[in-house]
Amino acid sequence: KKMASKISVVLRPVKSIVVRFCPFESNVESTRKFLGCINHKKIQATNRNCEVTADVRHDGSEPLVDVMFADGERLIMKGANLTTIEMLTALQSRCNAKELQEEQKSKKKSP
Amino acid sequence: SPRPIAARSLQDDGYVRLLRRQVEEVFRDNRMIAVCQFNSMPDEDVVLMRHYLRKHNIEVKFVLNEIVRPVLSQSKYKNLLPLFVARNILLVSPETKAKEMLRVLKGVPQINLLGACIDDTILSRQGVENFAKLPSLEASQGQTVGALALLPSQTSSLLQRGSAHLTALLDQHIRRLQAGETGSPAEPAPAQSLGAH
Repeated sequence: KKMASKISVVLRPVKSIVVRFCPFESNVESTRKFLGCINHKKIQATNRNCEVTADVRHDGSEPLVDVMFADGERLIMKGANLTTIEMLTALQSRCNAKELQEEQKSKKKSP
Repeated sequence: SPRPIAARSLQDDGYVRLLRRQVEEVFRDNRMIAVCQFNSMPDEDVVLMRHYLRKHNIEVKFVLNEIVRPVLSQSKYKNLLPLFVARNILLVSPETKAKEMLRVLKGVPQINLLGACIDDTILSRQGVENFAKLPSLEASQGQTVGALALLPSQTSSLLQRGSAHLTALLDQHIRRLQAGETGSPAEPAPAQSLGAH
């Protein structure tokens, strides 16, 4: 079984990540753990300009992760029914896909 | 080094009982207990944060959810239970310097305030921020005393108004009587009802 801390995410294509949750609710564990993992120095080191913010609320809103990519795309993950690993993997694959796009773009420019 | 907590019997183990007692003491001996998510940060930053918080008599306590949860579930603080998932620390103080605590935490983005118990009142993060904005107890007491003192001083002048008026009328009457004795025509003091404005 995959350990969340072993999932490496490259944040280069990410502009910002907001992790929103109401800590007094009981469906926020995976979202809070996601916040913990994303703050890990290995992942943070992949993009020091990526802003990771915790939005702590008390208004019954559902837990979610709001990812803004540098190319304007947005990824919203609703943490109530997702595991930490699922959210990390989803972000990882998105980031890898964008990295690949960038690589191909730069290859076209300079053959 | 001690065996991991999970490997110990959570009921009987002396070390576990000690840790639980420590949690009970924290809640008993402090007026402010703030619960924060702890995201990984460099050790030097932890040291610095401890240093700045200690200046305001706030201690940082690392806690294990497995220890805290059973203690809280049996106590009046059970509404704090949902907070104890993922990694947490407690910021505790015998005082309630919420404003200073928030100021230090502003500079430490890897620590996220989740809620607090201040003077046996459970507060959300917003609640802590509102509490921090309140004027000090001394300032509020001063304001109340000032407002209360205003009322008796108004009452006092209100009560004196009648007798002050009477005094003025009598003075006038006396002057007229004296004027009458010296030969000038006396005029009857016009009838005036006391207390008329």
